[in-house]
Amino acid sequence: MTNEVTLLSTMKSEWIKFRSVRSTILGMVVFVILTIGLGILVTSLIHAHWNSPGSQQDHLTFDPVSTSLVGTALAQFAVGVIGSLFITTEYTTGSIRTTLAAVPNRWKLIIAKTGVLKISMLLASEIVCFVAFFIGKAIYGNMDPSIPDTLTNGADLRAVVLGGVYLTLLSVIGFSLGMLLRQSAATISTYVGIVLVIPLVLFFFPKSIQDSLTKFEPSYLGREMMSVNPIQNAFSPWVAAMILVIYAAVLWVCGIMVFQRRDA
Amino acid sequence: MLKIQHLTKRYDDTLALDDLDFEVKPGVVTGFLGPNGSGKSTTMRLILGLDRPTKGSATINGKTYHELKAPLREVGALLDAKAVHPGRTARNHLLSLAASNQIKKARVDEVLEFVGIESVANKKVGGFSLGMSQRLGIAGALLGDPEVLLFDEPVNGLDPEGIRWIREFFRSLANEGRTVFVSSHLMSEMAVSADQIIVIGRGKFITQGSVDDLTATAHGTVFVRASDIHMLTSTLTSNGAEVHEINDLGLTVGGLTSDQVGELAYKAGITILELTPQRASLEEVFMDLTADSVEYGGGKIGVAHD
Repeated sequence: MTNEVTLLSTMKSEWIKFRSVRSTILGMVVFVILTIGLGILVTSLIHAHWNSPGSQQDHLTFDPVSTSLVGTALAQFAVGVIGSLFITTEYTTGSIRTTLAAVPNRWKLIIAKTGVLKISMLLASEIVCFVAFFIGKAIYGNMDPSIPDTLTNGADLRAVVLGGVYLTLLSVIGFSLGMLLRQSAATISTYVGIVLVIPLVLFFFPKSIQDSLTKFEPSYLGREMMSVNPIQNAFSPWVAAMILVIYAAVLWVCGIMVFQRRDA
Repeated sequence: MLKIQHLTKRYDDTLALDDLDFEVKPGVVTGFLGPNGSGKSTTMRLILGLDRPTKGSATINGKTYHELKAPLREVGALLDAKAVHPGRTARNHLLSLAASNQIKKARVDEVLEFVGIESVANKKVGGFSLGMSQRLGIAGALLGDPEVLLFDEPVNGLDPEGIRWIREFFRSLANEGRTVFVSSHLMSEMAVSADQIIVIGRGKFITQGSVDDLTATAHGTVFVRASDIHMLTSTLTSNGAEVHEINDLGLTVGGLTSDQVGELAYKAGITILELTPQRASLEEVFMDLTADSVEYGGGKIGVAHD
């Protein structure tokens, strides 16, 4: 048993690969800077203009958590790229053959790769989301006594945790697209298309169609997952999370079916 | 031992391998020879389970590659030396391979030192020369101390010193009782580095044998000097030989071995003064064998004359 290729040994191998290339490190740095930096910027601006005339209306819909986590809207590109490159570079460099010679069982390989991606992205995303949240909270301070100010508020905790889950699922979506398309550029453009272009296209549709479809967009699901207050015409955070899990799972299964069948 | 049985691979409408059937035995260096595009790399890929065979099988000690519990411990392969992530260091590349097959970390340093690249172990592979990449690939193949080793065109891009090193290295692996299977499109290389040779062309098996066997079966000629060459000429031609007169005493004989020529001369009572087999070089044998199966012929040189 100790000399076999196991799921755990394959995960160790993939972890070494994941952390030993610059694209992962760089992607992580961009991810952290975007999420935390943008959070600081936006929360500071809101704080500075809180008592400016005419802002009373905004106070009603103010969501301290979403505004603290606003950086995730940009970070979603970084995590998608990290996930994509984790598999597409195997093809672009040709190292997929060495990898498969070491681990011929393709299910085992992909499960290990996805496992490493999920664990590291979840860990990083949760840390980053919590840091952004606490910084936001510190900046808002006791700006307005009506803002609930503890994490013990279940809604806050749920929103921050689901923020991390959202980013992790997006990295899995990027990875699954990579399995299907194999080329880095094609994968990243498809990913950006899904996250960014679909909402833009929907914008030009009649309002009735927009209202019924918008809530299904991946990036909108993220907004739903991270909101503290209920959003009109949208899914609840948990339902939104489930839908995104289904998206990621379907793409992942399609990816592995193609990967399983294709000559390497 | 490596066993290829009825191995067939079809890509869309091209038949890359056509019912290939041979065995590669341990203890010797076996050369796998064929012109470019003859299916050598495809065979290697099928052995490693990277592609699915359309028909037939490739087995290592009776098991297909997918059935091996820790493949790197049983088969070491170097297919494409440049197929490594350029941003990863040599050591990290080997560490990741070792981890998957539960090979100890200490072994990584051992193989790095063995192939002589320990000084650049922490450098990114992207900056490696082809020769250094080949050495890294060999280090990867040796990682699991496997019984069977496959090398696809390993001398490509090596300098003369590297080529000499790799020849001695193959020899030592074979002497340790391992199965060493080396592909090349260079006959001259195989003539010096391999004991056994398997020749394929256009995906088909052509022949197999030792370097000596192959040259012996080729159309060699015999140079003979004799007391009465006119009588010898008629004796030999009546036995189906092709004879060219060189001078008053000498003949070049095709289609008979030197033994046969000597025998016939003795029976006819002719005194033989000299009898020299003119062996075809392995290069000629190879050209002869694969003449029909070269994927892209050279065509005629000197188009302007038409």
